[in-house]
Amino acid sequence: MTSVQISANAYKRGKGTLVSYLVSAPSLILIAGVVVFPILYTAYISLTNMNVYHWFNYSFVGLVNYARALFVFNSGFLSALGVTVLWTIVNMAAQLIVAYVMAVLLNMPKLRLKNLYRTLLMFPWAMPGYVSILLWKTGMFNSQFGLLNRWMQDLGHASVRWLASDLGAFICCTVVNLWLALPFMIMIMDGALQSVDKSFQESALIDGANWLTRQTAVTLPSIRPIIGPAVIITVFTTFKQFDVVYLLIQQTGAKTGSHLHTILTYAYENAFIASNYGYSSAISVIIFLMLIAFSMLTRTRTKEGV
Amino acid sequence: MKRAMIRIILLCMLAATLTGCAGGNSDSSTTAPKPVTITIWHDKEDAVADVLQKALDALAPDIAVKLEKKAGLTEALKMVGNDKNAAPDMYWFAHDKLGVYAEMGILAPIGDFIADEELADYIPMTLRAGMYKGTRYQMPLYFETLLFLYNRKYMKDADVPATTEALYGYMKRKTHGGHYGFVEQHSTAYYSAGWLHAFGTEVLNAQGQPHLDDENVINALTYHLKFVELMPDETEYATVNTLFREGMAHATLAGPWLVPTLREAGIDVGVAPMPVVDETGLPLAPYSGVQGLHVLKVHAREKKDAIMKVLTALLEPQIGTDLALVSACAPANGKCYGDERITSDAAGMEMRRTAETAVPMPNLPEMDVMWTVLGNLLTDVNMRGQDVAEAAAQAQRQAAQLIEAMR
Repeated sequence: MTSVQISANAYKRGKGTLVSYLVSAPSLILIAGVVVFPILYTAYISLTNMNVYHWFNYSFVGLVNYARALFVFNSGFLSALGVTVLWTIVNMAAQLIVAYVMAVLLNMPKLRLKNLYRTLLMFPWAMPGYVSILLWKTGMFNSQFGLLNRWMQDLGHASVRWLASDLGAFICCTVVNLWLALPFMIMIMDGALQSVDKSFQESALIDGANWLTRQTAVTLPSIRPIIGPAVIITVFTTFKQFDVVYLLIQQTGAKTGSHLHTILTYAYENAFIASNYGYSSAISVIIFLMLIAFSMLTRTRTKEGV
Repeated sequence: MKRAMIRIILLCMLAATLTGCAGGNSDSSTTAPKPVTITIWHDKEDAVADVLQKALDALAPDIAVKLEKKAGLTEALKMVGNDKNAAPDMYWFAHDKLGVYAEMGILAPIGDFIADEELADYIPMTLRAGMYKGTRYQMPLYFETLLFLYNRKYMKDADVPATTEALYGYMKRKTHGGHYGFVEQHSTAYYSAGWLHAFGTEVLNAQGQPHLDDENVINALTYHLKFVELMPDETEYATVNTLFREGMAHATLAGPWLVPTLREAGIDVGVAPMPVVDETGLPLAPYSGVQGLHVLKVHAREKKDAIMKVLTALLEPQIGTDLALVSACAPANGKCYGDERITSDAAGMEMRRTAETAVPMPNLPEMDVMWTVLGNLLTDVNMRGQDVAEAAAQAQRQAAQLIEAMR
C-alpha cells in the first residue's frame, strides 16, 4: 500500500468519525444539557457559599463546604450508610427471587390467562409511587385503621405499631419497595425467560435433569446477561431510595417513632433542610461519588459473574 | 405543483402577519394607554382566589390584576424572585416565609406603599407577624389559629374543660374501648407548640437562637406526656382527624379548615376557648398563620402607584370579610368584626379571641430547620419514651448544628 493510499484511508476514516459525531451531536448536546450540566453545576455550587444569606451575592469559598460536610458523616451517617447497604442487599435479593419465581410461573406451558396476570402484575407500576406509599401507610400499617391490625384484632391479638421500631419499619419499607419495584423486575425476567432457547431445556430433560437442575444449569446462565443491566439499574435506584423511607416513617409531621434512616433521608434531615445550597451540594457530590463507587463495584461483580 | 402551493401558503402567511402588525399600530394610536398589570402569585383554592380577583377587578381599567396559582410557590420565588422577566409583582402567602425572602433581598417594605396609620384597626398579632427585623413586609388579610373543637354528641357544653387538669380528668374517664376523650397531633411541632407557649417558652428567641433545652421546655414536655399516654400512638393529620370525624374522639385541636368538613359529616361541632394550664395559669397558645400580600422589590419602583392602589383597596373591610368567610379563617382587619356575618361565625370569633394569646409562627429563616428538630424531639419523648431532658439536650445540639449549617 502506497503512502498516498494510506493517507486517503486515514482521511476517509477521519471524515467518517466527523460524520458520526455530527449525526450524534443532537443527542450528545441533549445529554450534556440534561445530565452533565446539572452535575457540573452542583459541583460548582458546592464550592460557593450560596445560602439564604448569600443568595445572589455568593462567592467562591473553595473546599470549605466539603470540610463541613465531613461533620455530617458522623456515627449517625455511618449507621445510615450501613442500613442503606443492608437495605440494598435485602431488597435486591428479595426482588430477584420473587421476580424469578413469578416469571417462571408466568411461563408455565399450561397456564391460562397469562396476559391478564401480566397486566395485573404491572398494576403497581401504573400507580404514582407517592399514592402507593401513603396507601400502604394508612391502609395497611396504621395502628387505628390499618388492615393488618384489623386482622390482629380479629385473631384476638393486641394492636401493633408496625412502623414504630427500627426492625418493623425496615421490614415494612422493604415490603412496600418490593410492591413498587417488582413489576420492572418481573417484566425483565419474563422477557428473558421467553428468549431462552427451548431446545436447551429439552436436551437437559432428555439427559435426565430435574426441574431444579434445569433452572440452575440452563435457565439462569442463559438469562444472566439479559438481567445484568436491570440488576445494575435496580441496585442504583434502591441504594438512593428516598421516597419509601421518608414518606413511610420520616415525613415531617407524620413520624412513626422509628430512627431508621438511609443516607439520603439522613442527609435530608441533617443538611438539606438548612437551605444552604453550597453545603447541600457538597454533600450531594460526596453521595454521588459513593453511588458511582457502589455502582462500579456492582458492575464489576456482575461482569465477573458472567 | 407542490412548490407552487408552498409559495402560495407562505405568501398568505406573510400577508397575514403584515396585516396583523398594521392593525395593531392603527389600534394603539386610537385607544387609551395600556393598563398596568399587577401579577400576584398564590397557592389558594379557586373559590378563595376568585373573591380577591373580583374585588381587585374594580381597579380596572387603569390596573389589571392577574392572580396566578403557582405550584411550589415558595421554591419558585427563591428561583426567580429577582428576575424581572419571571418574578411576579406580589405574592399571597402565609407570613412565616418572609424572613427567608427578606434575607434574600427580594422583598420591598410595605411601608413604601401604605403608612402604618392605615393599619391602626388591624389585630396587633397579625401586624406583628408581618414584621421582620423592624420592617413590615406583609399586608395582612386574614389569619388562622388552632381551635379546641368538641363533638356535642359526646361532650356537653357544660363538660367542656376550662383547664388542662379538667381535660385530663375527662380523658381518663372517657378513654376506653377505642374511644378517646381528646386527641391531638401530639408529636407534630405546629400542633404541640401551644403547650410550650403555655409554659412561657418558645423554640426560638428573637435572635433566632434555639433554646430547646430550656427548663420550661422540659417542664412543658414532661407535663404534656401524661396527656399523650391517653391518646393513640399514631397522631398524624389523617389519623387524628378521622378519629374525630368518625365520632371516636370527643375533642381535638384542629384548624378552622376542618370545621366545614365536620359540619358536612353531620357532626354537631362546638368551639371552645383553649384550656388553661393549671401550673402556669396560661392557656394553650397555638401558633397562628397570617395570610397576606407581599411586594417583590423587582418591580416595586416602576409600578409603585399601581401597587399602592392594590394595597389601599385591600384596606376595605368588605374584602377582608369575604376572604375570611370563604377561607374559613378570621379577618385581620378589626373593622370586619362589625359585620354580622363574622360575629355569627363561632369559629371565626373564637380565633379572634385566641389571637390575643396566639403566637405568630416565627418568620425567622432559622424556623425552617426548627420544624424538623422540634418534631424529632416530640417523637423521641412521646413515641420512643426517651428521657425528656436527654432528648431536649440532643435536640438543642441538632438545632444549633443545623442553624450553623444555614450560614
